[in-house]
Amino acid sequence: MMERKFYRWMLVPALLFLTAFIYYPVLRGTVMAFQNYNLFDLNQLKFNGFDNFKAVMSDPHIRFAQILLNTAVWLFGSLFFQFVLGFGLALLLKKPFAGRGIYTAFVFYGWALSGFAIGLTWAWLFNGQFGLVNDMLMRIGLLSQPIGFLSNPNLAMISVIIPNIWYGVPFFGIMLLAALQSVPNELYEAATLDGAGAIRKFTSVTVPYVKPTIVSTILLRTMWIVNFPDIIYAMTNGGPVNRTNILATQMINKVFKEYDYGQGSAIGLIIMILLFAYAMLYLRLTEKGGDNL
Amino acid sequence: MKKQTVFSIGRFVLLAFYVLAAVFPLYWIVVTSLKGPKEIYTMPLQYLPTSATLDSYRKLFSFSSFSLYFRNSLVVALISSLLAMAVSILSGFSLSRYPRQRTKGILQLALYFTQTIPTFLIMVPIFTMFSKLGWVDSTAALMLVYVATVIAFSTIMSKGFFDRIPVSLEEAAKIDGCSMFQSLFHVVLPITRPGMAAIFCFAFINIWNELFLAVMLLMSNDKMTVPVALNSFISKAGISWDVMSAGIVIALLPTMIVFGFGQKYIVAGLTEGSVKG
Repeated sequence: MMERKFYRWMLVPALLFLTAFIYYPVLRGTVMAFQNYNLFDLNQLKFNGFDNFKAVMSDPHIRFAQILLNTAVWLFGSLFFQFVLGFGLALLLKKPFAGRGIYTAFVFYGWALSGFAIGLTWAWLFNGQFGLVNDMLMRIGLLSQPIGFLSNPNLAMISVIIPNIWYGVPFFGIMLLAALQSVPNELYEAATLDGAGAIRKFTSVTVPYVKPTIVSTILLRTMWIVNFPDIIYAMTNGGPVNRTNILATQMINKVFKEYDYGQGSAIGLIIMILLFAYAMLYLRLTEKGGDNL
Repeated sequence: MKKQTVFSIGRFVLLAFYVLAAVFPLYWIVVTSLKGPKEIYTMPLQYLPTSATLDSYRKLFSFSSFSLYFRNSLVVALISSLLAMAVSILSGFSLSRYPRQRTKGILQLALYFTQTIPTFLIMVPIFTMFSKLGWVDSTAALMLVYVATVIAFSTIMSKGFFDRIPVSLEEAAKIDGCSMFQSLFHVVLPITRPGMAAIFCFAFINIWNELFLAVMLLMSNDKMTVPVALNSFISKAGISWDVMSAGIVIALLPTMIVFGFGQKYIVAGLTEGSVKG
């Protein structure tokens, strides 16, 4: 009895922090999404039903469909390459080699860096006049004069996705390497006895064994990428002509530029609902896939 | 035998490609910060600086209060990470040993739920709440928010580390007359030191890098953190890349150092937190 009381008390500080600064604000934000909460117009504060959502979805300057499409391209473009390159890196690192410890520090350190500072760094690399990428392409003769990667509507999205891939590969590498190292060696030995080749071992031993990690890492990363505007904010802030404007950057603009907290919160709520629906669908699909294996 | 050689050469080439791709952007920003503005804005670019100079850093520290911003960031990140570590030692231990499975399950779900919440949805309500309390532009209040943003994941990590310590150790300590508190601090904690290091590093990295909450909640110039300062360098007229690159290097260094020292623990902590439910 004493013990249970003790365990309960130990949870209090953490729960206080979460309630005050996470759970309560989420509820408050949900309410705000249904109010005309504008910093310049606080005297007129009232509930306005779905007006914020309607306003966000029928903005004459920024088509909502375009923002959704941008968000999808940003998400899947980043996620696919982060996963493939991260998995590749983990496979390369699985077998020990001299200096592996130091090597991993150099390929994984990107995980710890500031997304905003990384965005600025890549903005400089892609600079339209004095950027390194332009310089390299001109040296090898692919370009005759510098191009504006971040100001060209057709190149801007690729130019913000590349840094995001660069930034996300270490996380997949770390998680998948740990999973690969936990595959028991006996499984490979048994597969060898059964006459399985390298490819067969990969598809029938490695992949099924690390599948739970793949599933959970992709889900975590999806939520993270959708909620991560730092790189875009640093490089293009949604431009040119909204070509890189995703839900998260649009929300920042609503809050920081227009001070329209009601519409900003509405976008936040849309993000959360979409992610929730995505997670449900994703978990159901991957569970089914698991039965087939 | 031959096939083996081809494989190892291929592996070497790929490994070289990965490390080059990983290091090059950082190399470039460091090189830029060591060139003068004249060399930065001359094409074709010099891949090695012809004459390295610290002028950009001198400019950065004399034209802005960058040393103050650096100190602010350091104070905020250190204090809130230590606080987060202390809180999550308690909550993680409790969750790991909690006797009732149902409550434990609900609590864990509540922790995982926080991972799906966009910062932006809580940012505005926190701001309006702080305006009412008079907490806007307070470094201490910002630190409380930072603790809250990392505490869920820290707790999940810390629970994972405590799960690995056999309960029999505490039971033995209890027989020896230790109270619960004593057995946690004298018996369990000393063995989980690497885990605690992981929690601290994870919190420090996340808090050091945070931009938007700080932009929203801090007002005065002398309270700005490093990311907020970098953000303020972006002007309508464009960025002066000599000073900016120096600022970026200084913004990146601390978390790189923390990652360098704590890599082993961080990797263990990350995988502990997310792979195991």
